[in-house]
Amino acid sequence: MKKQFKTLICSISAAFMVFGNLLPETAQAYPIYAQQAYANPREANGRIACANCHLAQKPTAIESPSAVLPDTVFEAIVKIPYDVSKKQLVASGDRGPLNVGAVVILPDGFKLAPPSRVPSEVKAKNKGVYISPYSSKSENILVVGPILGDKNREIAFPVLSPDPAKDPKVKFLKYPIYVGANRGRGQINPNGDKSNNNPVLAIAPGLISAVDQDAKSGSTTVAITAPDGTITEQKISKGLNVIAKPGQAVTKDTLLTTDPNIGGFGQAETEIVLQNPDRIIGYLVFCLAVVLCQIFLVIKKKQFEKVQAAEMNF
Amino acid sequence: MTVIKKPDLSDPKLRAKLAKGMGHNYYGEPAWPNDLLYIFPVVILGTIAILVGLGVLEPYATGEPADPFATPLEILPEWYLFPTFNILRVLPNKLLGIAAMAAVPAGLATVPFFENVNKFQNPFRRPIAMAVFLFGTVFAIWFGIGACLPIDKAVSLGLF
Repeated sequence: MKKQFKTLICSISAAFMVFGNLLPETAQAYPIYAQQAYANPREANGRIACANCHLAQKPTAIESPSAVLPDTVFEAIVKIPYDVSKKQLVASGDRGPLNVGAVVILPDGFKLAPPSRVPSEVKAKNKGVYISPYSSKSENILVVGPILGDKNREIAFPVLSPDPAKDPKVKFLKYPIYVGANRGRGQINPNGDKSNNNPVLAIAPGLISAVDQDAKSGSTTVAITAPDGTITEQKISKGLNVIAKPGQAVTKDTLLTTDPNIGGFGQAETEIVLQNPDRIIGYLVFCLAVVLCQIFLVIKKKQFEKVQAAEMNF
Repeated sequence: MTVIKKPDLSDPKLRAKLAKGMGHNYYGEPAWPNDLLYIFPVVILGTIAILVGLGVLEPYATGEPADPFATPLEILPEWYLFPTFNILRVLPNKLLGIAAMAAVPAGLATVPFFENVNKFQNPFRRPIAMAVFLFGTVFAIWFGIGACLPIDKAVSLGLF
């Protein structure tokens, strides 16, 4: 059963990779790049690998129960807020909706809940959201995306908690959950080049002599004349909002366009207690004993007050 | 039923004490054994029950294994060192930073000597000590918050 589930997940993620590669213009967050390059997406200093390409920072939140019992399915909800009215620049230079993606790093032993144990309302909510383990070695890390952000600004991860009775490595303790979530395209491609989702900076100092837009391709060429007369031509790809004007004096790294990026990556963390039901029962019994003890002490005091009232010498 | 002892106002000793605002332990409910033996254990047991509950429901999380080669994303000392950390951070020169840190206890130690001419003990009648205390408190809170903000807002807190 477990093996079947694993192969199912593998085939889903494999199909998903193909899908993602075929449609580069609609799929703009790529957990697969991180999966190929990092065995563990969380670096030792706490940064999640997505931040290496998605340089802009945006808020992210996680909502999960503060405690779970062993071998229980629960939901960890990742919130990726952004303004849905905004469109982002896609690789072709056109505007498109934002995509979202998320990674949830659960404690060792926690994993994606098998479909048979996920409640039907969660299944209905998660239609079209393919959550998969990060790799076959780390089943406790879940990734999702790129998926359309409009309907998925909250992604519910169904998680199965481990049972220390079956897995002796897991203990009843409090564990951290780390989550990273992204909206929109990255600023750096996996090969290290900048993507077109960046503002364009002047490559040379001087005076802008010409700003020519090519009507056919949509790209703009900015010519910068240096004080010694050399002319540097800089091409700005389609879709960027050029703010450079002829006659403007620029230094190196002056902004020639506005920043097209409206997305960003954020990470958050929370804690979850793997709770032993015996401890809860034990605590309730202890509380009962304490309350009884307190009641008897008060009753004893009331009894002694009668003695005091009768004798009146103390 | 009464266990409350009334004050014996015919006792001149008690009257003298009451006139001075003292002697309130001569009347009322006795501490022993009514409070100390019977009610204190009630409170102690309640405290223990709360602490055990916290221990069961919110156990302390084990931290991440230490890695001397991993610099944290946010470099911050313990919270009580935030103000001095921020002083070190905003001063451009390391020697200046050390001097500013050393000046904190050195400056505080000089305050009693300056204020020594003042004959009053009441802090509200010791203006220099009070002013230094108030300034130090406000400064420490201000710079403590500044330590948590990016370096360009470390002094202004982004307010101006």
